Parts: sequence; C-alpha cells; structure tokens
Amino acid sequence: MTPVSANGAIRNGLIAFAFLGYLILIGIPGRLGGSALPVLALVAALFFWVKLRFDAPDTGGAGLPGGSAEGKPGWQIGAPGQSSGRGVGALFPGRGGTLVLRHGLLAGVTTGLLIAGMSLAFASAIGSGASIQPVLDKIVPVNVGALIGVSPGQIANDDVPLFRYPLQVLFFTVAGLFAALAAVAARARNLQTTSMARLSAYLDSLPFRTTARFAGIALPFLLLAYIVWLGIPGVSAFGSNEGTVRLLFTLIATGSGLFAIRLAHPGREQKIVALLLALGVLTMPFILDQFQNSVMGLVFIFVMMGLGLNIVVGYAGLLDLGYVAFFAIGAYTYAFLSAPFSSPYISNLLNLLGISPEIPLLGYWTALPVAMLTAAIGGILLGIPVLRLRGDYLAIVTLGFGEIIRLFMLNLGELTNGPRGILEISQPGLFGLPPQSFSSGLLSSQGWIFLVALVSSAVVAFVAIRLNDSRLGRAWFAMQEDEDVAEATGVHLVRTKLLAFAIGATFAGMAGQLYASRQINIFPENFSLFVSIDALALIIVGGIGSPAGIVLGALALKGLPEVLRGVDEYRIVTFAALLVIMMIVRPAGILPSARRRVQVSPTDEQGPTTAAEERENDASLPAQGPPARPEDARSEEPA
Amino acid sequence: MTALLSIQAVTKVFGGLTAVDNVDVDIAERSITSLIGPNGAGKTTLFNCLTGLHRPEAGEILFDGRSLIGLRPDEITARGVARTYQNIRLFGRMTALENVLVGQHLRLHASHWSAILRSTRQQAEERAARTFALELLAFVGLESHAEVVSTNLPYGEQRLLEVARALGSRPSLLLLDEPAAGMNPSETDRMMELVHRLRDEMGITIFLIEHDMKVVMSVSETVAVLDYGEKIAEGTPEEVRANARVVEAYLGPEVVLQDTADTPNL
Ligand SMILES: Nc1ncnc2c1ncn2[C@@H]1O[C@H](COP(=O)(O)OP(=O)(O)O)[C@@H](O)[C@H]1O
Ligand SMILES: [Mg+2]
Repeated sequence: MTPVSANGAIRNGLIAFAFLGYLILIGIPGRLGGSALPVLALVAALFFWVKLRFDAPDTGGAGLPGGSAEGKPGWQIGAPGQSSGRGVGALFPGRGGTLVLRHGLLAGVTTGLLIAGMSLAFASAIGSGASIQPVLDKIVPVNVGALIGVSPGQIANDDVPLFRYPLQVLFFTVAGLFAALAAVAARARNLQTTSMARLSAYLDSLPFRTTARFAGIALPFLLLAYIVWLGIPGVSAFGSNEGTVRLLFTLIATGSGLFAIRLAHPGREQKIVALLLALGVLTMPFILDQFQNSVMGLVFIFVMMGLGLNIVVGYAGLLDLGYVAFFAIGAYTYAFLSAPFSSPYISNLLNLLGISPEIPLLGYWTALPVAMLTAAIGGILLGIPVLRLRGDYLAIVTLGFGEIIRLFMLNLGELTNGPRGILEISQPGLFGLPPQSFSSGLLSSQGWIFLVALVSSAVVAFVAIRLNDSRLGRAWFAMQEDEDVAEATGVHLVRTKLLAFAIGATFAGMAGQLYASRQINIFPENFSLFVSIDALALIIVGGIGSPAGIVLGALALKGLPEVLRGVDEYRIVTFAALLVIMMIVRPAGILPSARRRVQVSPTDEQGPTTAAEERENDASLPAQGPPARPEDARSEEPA
Repeated sequence: MTALLSIQAVTKVFGGLTAVDNVDVDIAERSITSLIGPNGAGKTTLFNCLTGLHRPEAGEILFDGRSLIGLRPDEITARGVARTYQNIRLFGRMTALENVLVGQHLRLHASHWSAILRSTRQQAEERAARTFALELLAFVGLESHAEVVSTNLPYGEQRLLEVARALGSRPSLLLLDEPAAGMNPSETDRMMELVHRLRDEMGITIFLIEHDMKVVMSVSETVAVLDYGEKIAEGTPEEVRANARVVEAYLGPEVVLQDTADTPNL
C-alpha cells in the first residue's frame, strides 16, 4: 500500500522479479525466442502499471481499500502512519508525479538488476560446464540465451558480450518508467490541475472522441480484412504454432466487433454496423483453416452454453454448478440417435424392432428438437428438488447433479458404452445434403460446425434477449433481487424458476448436440465438472447478464488459451495471470450489463443514475463516466 | 356493513413466542384502518399472515368472503391484496418503472412465445403496462423518476415507489407497514395525503401500521391496538385514546416509546 515510498518500489520490483523468475525457470524465454526480453519487460510493465494505478485509488472509483481521496483532489501517497513517512499526503501531480516516476524507475531497476544477476549466474554456470540441468531442467542454452538476447551457442561457449547485462537492466527500467507514465497520465485525466490536464482535455474533446469512435467502429473491419490478407497458411510468431496469430486476430476482430456495435449511435447506424459485422463474421468459416475453425466452433458452442447458464445464473440468480449435466444430456441424446450402433442396449432394441441400428435414426436437424426436449426435461427434473434451496445449498446440490450425470454415463455401460464412449456421430447436413458434401471445397468440416455454431448462437441470443425483455425477464430479475418480495408481488416462483432451469437446459442441450457432432466421438470425460466451471467463468469474466459480454467471455476463455498453445503447458499460468489482471481492471466483467454496473460502480455525482444515462455511457468512449463520489465507491465495494 | 377482510382468532407462534395471539379484526370496504402497538407487538407478523408469508397456527382469514389460509403469496396478491414493507424492499437494481412493471406481473398474460416473436398483442400489452406504470408513478408523484434506478432514489421516494409497485397488481386491499417510518413531517403529510387519495380516488381499502400517534389519529377511521400479540382495544381514534389499557401499554411511557422506535426486540 505504499506505492511511492522507496520500500514499496523495491518490493514491487521484487514481486515482479519473482513472477518473471518463475516464467524463466519454466522455460518461457526459450519459447519466445528473440522476443523474450521485450515480452518479459511488457509483463513487468503491466504489473507495475496495475500496482501504481490501483494501489492508490483516485476519485474515479475502482479503488482498493486503503486509499483515501477525501474531498481534496489529492493522491494520498503511502499509507498514513507508515514508517517510511515520506510522501504521505503528497499532492499529485506536482511532487506526486515525480514520486510516481521515481517509483517506477526504482522498481524497474530492481527487477532489471535481479534478472541480469540471475542471467549472469546461469550463463556462467552453463558456460563453465556445470551441470545444473538435472536440478533446473529448463535452464538450458536456448532458454538462457533468449533471456539475454544471444544465441544458444554463445551461452554454451561462455561467449556473452558483457554489455548484454546492462541492456537487460535498461529494458526493465524503461518498463518501470512507462508503467509510471501510464499511471500518471491515467490519473491526470481525472484531476484537471496540471499541465497533463491539457492532454486530458484533448482526450475528452469532441474531435478526438469522434475520431476514436470511428476508429473503434472501423477496427473489426480492418482486422477482418487483415485476416483475409494473411491467407490460409497463417503466420507464426513468438515461436507459436502456425495459424495462431490469425486465430488471435479472429478472436480480437469478433470481440472488437461487439465494442464497435456499442460505439455506433443507436438506431440506423448501429443496425448497419451490426449487419455488416454479422456478414463479416459469417464469412469467417470460409476463410479460416481447419484448426482456427475448430477453435471458433468450440468458442461459439460455449457461447450457447454461456447464454443458457446466464438465464439461470445471470437473469434468475440461481447458482447452478451442475450445468454440464444438460450439455451431456444433449450430447448423448444426439449420440444415441445418430450412432445407435455404438450403444449395445439401443442396437439390441432396434434389432428386436427390426430396425437397422447401422444407420442414424434421425439427422442433426430432426434430432435437434428431441435433444432440446430431453435437456429441458432434465432441467425441470433438477429444478423440482432444488426449488426451495438458495445460494450455497443450491450450488452444492446442482454440483452433485452434474457429477451424477457423468457417473451415470460412465457406469451405464449397456446404454452409453461406458468409458469407451459413443463413436462415429454424424455431422449436420443441410436440406437433405449429406454432411460430407460440406467437408470439401468451400467449407471445411470444422468450418461448417463453426457456421452452425454461429447461427445457433445467434438464435439462442435472440431468444434470451427477447425473453429477458419481457415480463418473464422482469420476474427473473425480481426473483434474483428478493425472492420473497417477488412472490408477494405476484411472481409464481415455482413456474418462474422451472422456466429458467428448463430454458437454460435447452440451450445447453443444443450446445451439447453440436459438441457431440463436432467431436464425432464422445466419452464421459468430456462432461466433467470443468465444463460447468468454464461456462460459469466465461459469464463472470464477460459480464453476468450481458449477452455481448458472454461472447467476449467465451472468446477470452475458450479462444485465447488456444492462441497461447505456443507456450504450451504454461499457457494456463499465463492465462491465469491475464484473468487476474482482468478481474482487477474490470471487476464487473469485460462488458457488464447496465444493471451490474449500477451495483459495482455507481457513476452518479450530481444526481441519481438513470438507466438512460447508463446506456449513454455504453455508447460513449470507455472511462468517460463522471467520477463517482468516493464514499459511494467505498460503500459499494464488495467486502 | 360487510367486512372486506375478516381476521378471526388468528394465532401465530414462533417457537415459544406467541407473536400473534387470537386476534380478531374486521375491515370494512373503503375504510382506513390502523394497526398500532409497541415494537414487537406482532403487527408485521399479522401482515405476514395476511399475505401468505407465514401460515397462522390457528384462526381464519376471510377476504371477500373466501379464505386466504394456505394460499401462496402470489395467489393472495392475485385475489387483490397488496402490501409494502416496514424496511423498504424494492428491487434495488431495477428502475422505478420496472419495479411497477413487476408489480403488474400477474395482470399480464401474453405468452412467452409471443414475447420471443414480439407479437402485436404482446407489444400492445407491454405498452399498456408501461402506460399504466407511468400513471401510477404520476399518482404517487414520481413521474419524473421513472428511469431512475430505485436504490438511487431518496428514502422518502423509495417508500412512495413501494406503494406504486403495490398498486401495479390493482389491489382492492392495500397493507401499508409503517409507510411513514423515518420520514420528516412534510414527507409524512405527503404520504398521508396519498393514503387518503388511494381510498377516495381509487377506492382501495387501506390497512396500515403506524407508529406516529398523531398520524394515526388524523388518518384512520378505525384503530386496532396490539400488545404482546393480543388485541387490547379497537374502535375510533377517540375511543382508543381514552382506553385505559392502551394508555398503559402504549401511550403512557412516551419517552420509552421514542427510544425503542428503531430497535425491534427479539
Ligand atoms: N420470522 C420470525 N421468526 C421468529 N420470530 C419472529 C419472526 N418474525 C417476528 N418474530 C418475532 O415476533 C414478534 C413480533 O414481531 P413483529 O411482528 O415484527 O412486531 P412489530 O411489527 O409489531 O414491531 C417479535 O418478538 C419478533 O422477534
Ligand atoms: Mg413491524
């Protein structure tokens, strides 16, 4: 909590070093190759920035406890009563600004010196022929060389130019300074008392806003054009797999498209932008390669899951941790209908009835209503016993239900073929055309799955949004706010809850069916607890209650890890770090619904916040809302 | 004079505590009746029994000649009983307008399919609901705050909004639990004027709990007094004021009354 004292700076430098040291020990630099040093410096800068920006909150909210900005536009630096005393109550940005810069400098130098020391130690150890690899298996010439910026050969021959080490220090020093500058600039936008205020005034000015708005709307289209230009083979960067860069741009293009729609003026402009984007996204299955399409298909299968779970958790406020059950029900229902020969019980039954089990009973589209209905019945069957449960109890019971279904699939070998799974599930056809006709030529098989996922997600989102905007949506939300009062106000709790469970389950069933046909073979392990957790995590990250946020959440949670495949088994660590940063920067999710923001960050200064204002803030540039009253920001802080 | 609501020998027990003890009250149609009593006397509990939140151990509650016992809260609301709460319980993150729309929930019948397809009938119903909600907001004086998120409303207006939400279900009996609690004198006057208008202009029967004796005496035609769960008096304000048991239980230690106003005893 003392971001500007010398102690605080050194401590931050140490923390950054600890994290980077870990990345080095697990061999990340070696995988990044030539870009190792800049990337590590970027990670350090990001960390410093988060520390500087959020340790001492300004009046713009998002503060952590411990900061103080009572009344005066001051940045109280350092916790009062700390022994380091210096800088307590120092005003920003006069002296405070320099203090922040000094903090960044000191932290950067600390990290840089430690990294350089570590590199020197490793390089000389390897150079002198000491065998450290048995202990630290990733400390090999390739890794250490990338860290220092020399070739592996130079490390092995103990031939590292000495100036490389000060250069390392310089990288991290610059990182620290940049982080400090960014923190200063961000703060200067809120406190109009400095020369920085002129910059800030420009950022707020109309021409800048207009330019930024157009840039924001143009961005996804430029990205789409870039994806087309990159062509099918894709390119590799950072030593990652071919095509991941293209995948990354696809993810960003889709995500920024959602922001572009919000940036556009409501009405005709918004409709046109949305339509063009929809067309752009619909062309992607034809442009991407098999790998990219398969990732995007999975992303949109999870969008469907997220939209369904969002009805239960986000709209009705019922914490359901067993959501994977309905996904599994949808998948297995379709599996039985599509590949009856894989299930001993069903093939026997069909043989008895004189029907050949060798051919699918139903095609994808004719099976769809069956899968949806089965999942809906599953939702109601789960719903009935948990009607009276609330909060934690509900979460635990539903968690159990998810596991029960999985164990059921695993152990009912006669029906489900147990761990051997159901094999050879067919892909969707179209208008009587067999699935195979899509897997050649224009559209790859995974591209076709992606296309079906896109269209299904759009239908699901449409239904979810319309329902939420009706009396049913209001009843759900009322129930979430206060169940007893909702009931006394006239909401039929049983019916309303069961509808939420059933509709949520239906969407999961649709997702499960598509998942089964994407996988071709499904096994009980595909339906573990982690699917529920993924679905829940993506709606929390994206913004509970907000369909656009859910798409972003799915892109971030199911798409991004695939891009990070280049850094292999450590992608989960990197990914977790990204998530933590995200939750600090945007605690209500990437694109929260207006209602969530009412709770998390009240933006009223002069008067009560109206929903109209909330929507207006949506359409304006990020971080343009008037600063909240500091008391409010604190009192609304989740404990 | 037939009673719209007839409470007959209702008893509600919590563990060893008899919160409502064999209480009879009759409420005439289009009357304003007050329920008073010291804190913890069982007034809110009686309201909870009327609205189906609690099921009384004994007794009968007849509304419009039909029993309310055993009905769910939403069924009771559908019969025409609506209420407000002592400690405000709005749907905090909804706007004022949305709160009133939820109040109308059970008067809306468009199917969920028609909501997905936005059929003309469903759209017409939604429009009518909005119009009615705006009328109700105007009736309580909140027309300019329709789009305000309800937690952001000032305290007094939150109480008014609770009334508007209750009106959404088009009740014939409105139960108001300490509608003027925590209000300043001018806000209290505004609330009491509203209570009169509810009865005179909308024809709604009012049953209200109130702490402030001055308010009770000025607003109500009949007053019932609870003490330790028992009804100790009933009559016109003058009769009740003159009743020795009431004076002893309630009006006497006026200083004590002030002190305990905000601390419900267990
Ligand atoms: N749900 C409950 N469970 C247990 N005791 C309750 C409950 N509700 C009220 N009580 C008790 O019943 C008594 C009457 O409470 P209440 O009806 O709230 O009083 P009043 O509204 O007249 O101040 C109090 O002693 C209170 O503690
Ligand atoms: Mg009470």
